[in-house]
Amino acid sequence: MNLAQVLNGLRDPMGVPFYPWFFQVLMVLTFALHIIFVNLAIGGSFMAVYEHYKKGENNKRLSRFLARSSTVNLSAAVVLGVAPLLFVQVVYDPFWYVSNLLSAWWAVGFLCFVTAAFLALYAFYLKRNPESGMKGFGFFGWLTFGLLLLAGFSMHLLSVQFLEPEKWKLWYLSGNIMNTSGTTVYDFRISRYLHFIIPSFAITGVFMMLYGWFFRQRQDMDKEYLHWVAVSGAKMALWATIIQIIIGFWWLFSLPKNLNFTSNAFLWIGVILGVIFFLVLMAAQKDPEKYAVLSALFAFLAVLGMAVSREVLRMVYLGKFNYSIYTYKLNIHWGSTALFLLTFVMGIIVMAYPLTVAWKLGRYGTTSKEGA
Amino acid sequence: MLYPLFEWHGVGNGMLMAIIATYHILPCHLATGAFWITYVMERKAYQENDEGMLEFIKKYSLLVLIFCFVTGSLTGAGIWYAATLISPRAISGLIHNYVWGWATEWVFFLIEIVTIYTYYYTFGKISRKAHLRIGLIYAMSAWLSMVIITGILGFMLTPGKWSQTGLFFDGFFNPSYWPQLFVRTAFMFVVGGAYAAIVASFMKDPDIKSKAMKVAAKWGLGGLIVGGLFTVWYFTKIPATAKTIIFEDLAFTKTMFEIAIAAGVLLFIYFGIWGFMKSRTAGPIPAIIAMLVLFVGICAGETMREMARRPYLIPGYMYSNQMIAKDMKPKGVKNEVAKFNKEGVLKNYYFAPESVKEIDASNFMAAGRILTKLECISCHTVESTGFFSIPKLMVRFGASSPEEVHDFLDALSDYDYMPPFVGTEKEKRAMAAYIASLVNPNQKADPAWVLGK
Repeated sequence: MNLAQVLNGLRDPMGVPFYPWFFQVLMVLTFALHIIFVNLAIGGSFMAVYEHYKKGENNKRLSRFLARSSTVNLSAAVVLGVAPLLFVQVVYDPFWYVSNLLSAWWAVGFLCFVTAAFLALYAFYLKRNPESGMKGFGFFGWLTFGLLLLAGFSMHLLSVQFLEPEKWKLWYLSGNIMNTSGTTVYDFRISRYLHFIIPSFAITGVFMMLYGWFFRQRQDMDKEYLHWVAVSGAKMALWATIIQIIIGFWWLFSLPKNLNFTSNAFLWIGVILGVIFFLVLMAAQKDPEKYAVLSALFAFLAVLGMAVSREVLRMVYLGKFNYSIYTYKLNIHWGSTALFLLTFVMGIIVMAYPLTVAWKLGRYGTTSKEGA
Repeated sequence: MLYPLFEWHGVGNGMLMAIIATYHILPCHLATGAFWITYVMERKAYQENDEGMLEFIKKYSLLVLIFCFVTGSLTGAGIWYAATLISPRAISGLIHNYVWGWATEWVFFLIEIVTIYTYYYTFGKISRKAHLRIGLIYAMSAWLSMVIITGILGFMLTPGKWSQTGLFFDGFFNPSYWPQLFVRTAFMFVVGGAYAAIVASFMKDPDIKSKAMKVAAKWGLGGLIVGGLFTVWYFTKIPATAKTIIFEDLAFTKTMFEIAIAAGVLLFIYFGIWGFMKSRTAGPIPAIIAMLVLFVGICAGETMREMARRPYLIPGYMYSNQMIAKDMKPKGVKNEVAKFNKEGVLKNYYFAPESVKEIDASNFMAAGRILTKLECISCHTVESTGFFSIPKLMVRFGASSPEEVHDFLDALSDYDYMPPFVGTEKEKRAMAAYIASLVNPNQKADPAWVLGK
């Protein structure tokens, strides 16, 4: 039994109900959206505590806003994470399941860390009012941040071990004994991990720019404060992106030589989008509000580019073992595919309503004709 | 092809699922039921300009927000994780059939999260009509997520025509689908009512408290009565073997049934007394006790449904030990049991050490240990503690020598809820030798017997 036979044999014998490329597209797209909100939750919780310890009134105000928005962002991260979690099991089931089984307690730990982070975040959020004396605000903030990093660590090791099927059996067996404990961490890549964490500050920076831009039409908001937030955000985003580019190259050069990323067009697209984002941020320093939406757009494209690169790299890695998701057995079922697509379109239309209401209320402080 | 194993030593893998899945039941039913109640209450509060009730609704929706969207969504994903660690092939089978079902459910989650945050943060800041409409969108999308997941849950007990056709909707609209959907719909109001009672019990103003308690009790009592009736219908739709397992084979599941009934009666009494007679003075303690009773009752009901699926994880297709039991012709899948019985399980198990693939006098205990774990630990432990401990069960069934355990394994499928032993005769004897050593560590099987010499 060679490894290629094993990997193909582990796939579900019933096959997939639609073309694998379609699941792959959905997986990459939802992953990109998911990771943006993960970045916002990590960066937002950190900045909320950081600004809290500074003296100025503006810092305190920004801190309260970030604490509050982090609760929504973390919820969004969780819900958006469900989709890639589902799709990865459809086309990469052997890799995902083995990696989870080998480090089972880390998979369970991930859930516990995120749940605990969430509860800490709500404690943090509910303590944000100066009237309450803000006792424990800093503590719960750091706790949230630390737990989210730990959750990232767990997810990271599951994703790295995923890519190394040639090592699974060596890890799992010692003599006649199978290591069924599920506590061991078998592999971890610091450069790759940082490549996921550092963007938190760039994305949160762009979020702060958007905040300054979004509320500036409001009569009841302090313009000076909003401008300060946008300027600070733009500065942070720029610095984080510079660090991110350095780490990105560190990570790329740490990849096995035979992967030859230099000749892969998709990886270059990822790099180029990252550099364009950097240039937009450079331009945005002068007038961050004006460039906020453009920065957000290029931030999204850069993240999407990275998500595509990650997937391409995964295909190259697993190609070594003759694994291709495109050879997955097909048992096409149009009815259920249509059920999803129609529901999805309906969902977008339905969601437009509450989002419009929330948008108008936030932007103008009222929902126009209807009044309060 | 079989996966590596994970083992929760001394506790049992079943505990992992039990903790996550039973916990999930409360937030998920609350998420679906709560907003029907708030919708009706909010509309009435606007008509009567009742500020106190609006305050109550806002508190209630914050509870739903934190409780459901923190712990509910995470434990929901947690069920996939737990299933992955206990029975990866079963969750893989379910996902490869129902991925679009889950993806559809996910769309409703997206709508839920957008609407609930908008609902909470716009309270009192937008027009009443718009706010009510957002609450109603939430309630409907949350209930629709239940409409979807019930199809997959029902499939796991009564796959219906799917067994012949392998088609999504044949499994989705299975024989127990409609009764189960109605049972869950009714009980989501009970969960919603019980939570509303907790929030009401903390309200200070006795008038608001009394009003809120009455609403909570009405939904709770209504849900209990209607849910009870639909449960009777549900029981007519589940297969005879499932009923035999619940009511005759296992004392444990019968107790679960009795607990579920008792919980229903206690809740009925609670809603009756504190909802109507003592609604002005209802305190948090009885409300919290009622919630615990409800939790125990639902746990019992869901455990019963889970046990009734045995010996399968996917009925008529995959055994609880993850072996494919029967051909699934429309999807081109062949059963594995015949193959493994002929060729041996270990030879076909990539993750087993090479040294045990050919059983001999030196390795049969190691081989037996691996086989036992592979075929048993999704439900049992090999230690003397935890879920369905093998050594304890062996003592109870009077099987302690290798020969006795072997005979027991031979007769395994005589039990309605047990899958058969899968593997060659030599593998069965190796497993028997290992299991006998669990009962009595000093007991050494005769290698000649194991090797069939």
